[in-house]
Order: sequence, then C-alpha cells, then structure tokens
Amino acid sequence: MKQTISLSCFLIISMVSCFFVQQNLSEKREELLKASYMAYTLPSKITGVLALEFKGIVSDFLFLKTTTFFGDKFIKQESVGEKQADYAYESIKIVTDLDPWFWDAYLFADMLLTWDFGQIDKANELLLKAKKNRTWDFKPAYYLGFNHFYFLKDNKKGSRFLMEASKIPGAPSYLTSLAARLSMYENQYQPAIVFLNEILKTTQNKGLKNEYEKRLKTLIIMDKLEKNVHAYHAAFNVFPETLQDLVDKGIIESIPDDPYGGQFVLLKNKRVYTTSKMIYKRK
Amino acid sequence: MGRKLFALIFLTFKEGVRDRALVGVGLFSLAMMGGSVMVVNFFMRELHKVSVDINLSAIAFAGLLLTFFVSLNLMSKDMDKHTIYCVLSKPFSRTQYIWGKYLGIMFLIFIAFCILTLCSTATIFFIKSQYEVYFKEFSWLEFYKAIYAQFLMFFILNAFIVFYSTITTSSFITLLFSISTYIAGQTIEEVVLFLQSSQAMEMVMSKTIGSIIGIVQYVLPNLSVFDLKVRSAHALPISFEYLSAITFYCLIYSSVLLISSSLIFNRRELK
Repeated sequence: MKQTISLSCFLIISMVSCFFVQQNLSEKREELLKASYMAYTLPSKITGVLALEFKGIVSDFLFLKTTTFFGDKFIKQESVGEKQADYAYESIKIVTDLDPWFWDAYLFADMLLTWDFGQIDKANELLLKAKKNRTWDFKPAYYLGFNHFYFLKDNKKGSRFLMEASKIPGAPSYLTSLAARLSMYENQYQPAIVFLNEILKTTQNKGLKNEYEKRLKTLIIMDKLEKNVHAYHAAFNVFPETLQDLVDKGIIESIPDDPYGGQFVLLKNKRVYTTSKMIYKRK
Repeated sequence: MGRKLFALIFLTFKEGVRDRALVGVGLFSLAMMGGSVMVVNFFMRELHKVSVDINLSAIAFAGLLLTFFVSLNLMSKDMDKHTIYCVLSKPFSRTQYIWGKYLGIMFLIFIAFCILTLCSTATIFFIKSQYEVYFKEFSWLEFYKAIYAQFLMFFILNAFIVFYSTITTSSFITLLFSISTYIAGQTIEEVVLFLQSSQAMEMVMSKTIGSIIGIVQYVLPNLSVFDLKVRSAHALPISFEYLSAITFYCLIYSSVLLISSSLIFNRRELK
C-alpha cells in the first residue's frame, strides 16, 4: 500500500516535471529551428534512393515542409532573400524529381519565384519540367505563356506557349482567341493563322467555329495587307504613309473591312493593325 | 496431396492470425489512413494525390511489417522452437511443407490486403465526398491496380523469406537478408538507370564493377516495377499488358525461389 502511494506521488511529480521540461524544450527547439530550419536539401539522387517505394508520400512531406516554411515567413512578415529563393527552387526540384506530376509543387514554385523573388528563369525551368511530364495538362504551357508576356515581355514566346496550351484537350476555349490576339503584338501573323487553321479542324462547336473563322479571316487580311506594304516598298523604294497609299498606287482596290467592325491602320513601324484589336463589338 | 497442402495453408494462416503483431500492424495502418483525412487539409489543390499517396503507403508499409515480422516469425518459429520435428513427423513431404507455409503466409497477406483496401476505400471515399472538386484527376481503377501491383511485390518478398529460412539457421540473419534484398530490389533500377545516364558515362568505372552490376540486376528482383503508387495518385493509366507482365515476372521469380527452397530444404539436415 505504502509503495503504491509513493509510486503514485512520483508519477504525479514526474508528469508535472515533464510538462515544464517539454515547455522549455519547445522554446529551445524553436530557437534552434529559427537559426537553421531547413537550410539544406538532399540531392534527389540520394532522396530518391532513400525514399525506396515511398516516393509519393516523401514528396508530399517535403512539399508540406517547404510550404510551411514560407507560409510562416510570410505570416510573420519576415524578409526573404536569395538564400530562401535558392532553397525554394532546390526543394521543389527534389519534390518534382520524386513525383514529376505534382502540379501543386510546380505552381507554388512558379508563384513564389516569379512574384516574390523575380527569378523568372528558374520558375520557367520548373514549368518546362511540368510541361514535359504533365502532357495532358494545359496549365504548364499556359503559365509559361503568362510568364513570358507579363514578366519577360517576350510576346513571341508567350504567344507560342499559349497556342500550345490551347491545343491540349480540356484547355479553356478563350486561350485560342487570346493566343491569336496576343500574336498581333509581334511580327508573327503567320503562326497564328496556322494555329487557328489547326484548331478549326478539330472544333465542333458552331459558335466557337464562327468566332475562330472570323479571327482567322482578320489575320489573313492583315497578313495580306502587310505583304502589300512590302510590295509597295519594293516598287517605290519607300514605305507607304497610310493604307490609302496602297489604293492610290493601285496595289489594292480598296481597304478591306475589319470583320470585327474596326478599321485597319498602318502603324509607324509599318505593321498593319486593327482598331478593334480583334475584339468583336457585341450589340 | 491437395488436402494435405490445404491443411498446411490453413494451419499457417491460423497461426498467423493468432500473432499479436497483426493487431499492431492493423492499428498502425488504420491510424495512418485516418490521419490522411486531416493531413489533406494542409495541401492546396491535389488532395486526391495526397490521400492516395498516404493510403497506398499505409498499405505498403503494413505489408512490409507483416512480411518482416509475422511471416518471418511463422517461417522461423518451427526451426527456432524445434517444432519442425513434430510437423515433419506428420505425413507431409518437405516440399509440401515449404509450399504450404508460403501459400499460408500469402493467404494471410491477401486477407490483410483485402481489409486494408476496404478501409482505404472508405477513407478516400470520405475525403472525396468532402472535396469532390479536387478529385477530378482521380481514378478508382488505377488505385486498385496499384494495390494489386503492391500485392504482387509481396509474393516475391515472401518467397525470399522462405528461401532465406531454408538456407540459414538464424531468424535474425533471415531478417537481415530479407531487408537487404528489399532495399536492393527497390534501388537496383535507379542504380542501373544512373549507370546508363550520360553523367555516369563520363565517370571512369572499372569494367569488372560494370559487369558485376550487369549480373546483379538480373539476379536481384526489380521490386520497383511493382511500385505504381505515384502514377496511381495522378490517375495515370497503367496498361493491362504491363500488369500481366509484372504478374508473370512475379510468378516466375517466386516459383524459382520456392523450387530452390524445396530442393535445399529436402537436402538439409535438421539438428
């Protein structure tokens, strides 16, 4: 009896001490983590082998660790620098080596590396990896297109990626129009014409088909007009000031109508453009 | 002969069910599956991937625990406790003993897999009903295909347990050999792929090492062919041709091991 009472007392004392020790340990651990939390990544050659057949769950764990790390930094409004950007890039690279189809990881890296760290090349590198593996998904190509338009100001490449994205089954229908419209900003009507022709072959929806046909018609007109501008230059050794000059010199009979209701104009850089911007003015 | 074999299979299964470790393994797996309901909340969109990853890993891990602890115990207990004399005094041949034990173990694992599959189905069904919108890239068929492939892996691994039990006298050595075989089997593909990569081509490697690895890749089982977890998590289609190829591989490899075990065990002197 005496032994049971003394043992019970010891148990209570141990439990209370355990609570305080644990509290102290938590504080010490937090300090330790603050100083060195996840400042390392194991190369995927090692992680992949160590993960054995549990690559999926290991990739989930590593991704969770990375998102928690950055989430905590943002909540506490702590500054993040190049070191953290490198960590994010390396970590997501490993996560996506373990599971090359993990879209959440690619998207997280893209958002972080572009908007927070301005490392567009690294973000694009990961998106290209996503594009290579997620062949059924339009999103990697779509985000690559966006990064090229918005961050790199490379409309040509951006348009090309959007076109690729719009060809993937399941891609939103607006991508087709967007890609074709954006292509106007660079000297590349021809790829847009080819692209729209291809899309038209597989488009069943009547409304969409009409829309694409109208866009294609406009692009063909603009392409022809530009060729006429160059023909004018070849004949008179000078560029025309306006499209009316082409009519005056008999190169074309009249300026064609814009199917979208706008007007074709000749810009200072001698590119043909339309005031409608290929947006149909709905009544 | 068939009745004797069935009796052995049933006895082994019954013995395995009595093992308390089975309850521990079951509880651990159920806790892991239950935990997945909470864990998926921490992820952004691909909740289907995370829940499939966790559930399939729980099944695989439970299978490994069963193999390394329960199966091994079932195989080595007779030797360690010398009850093998009693068993072999019955009208069984040694070959029947080996096959009966193996099939009994596999039957135990099969039942465990059925229960775990049922539990994981319920778990995923629950998560899916909560987050229907995040389960567009999920396929039950691919999920069950991955479980089937996982089950096939245990045919080979347990055949190794039986094989090692016949050539060693200590259960610890059997455990050590089996774990080593599992790790080697899971990593051999990566090693071979690395050696075939351009990065490795640049490395100066002796011809002897190259040919040793060449031989080892055919001797060791390539267990990573049975790992379809990541593909299944993304509902990437796995062809029936692939499934039949791994089924044949598993059957042939296990048969080779079991026939070898029977031959060795027939000649073994039991002390």
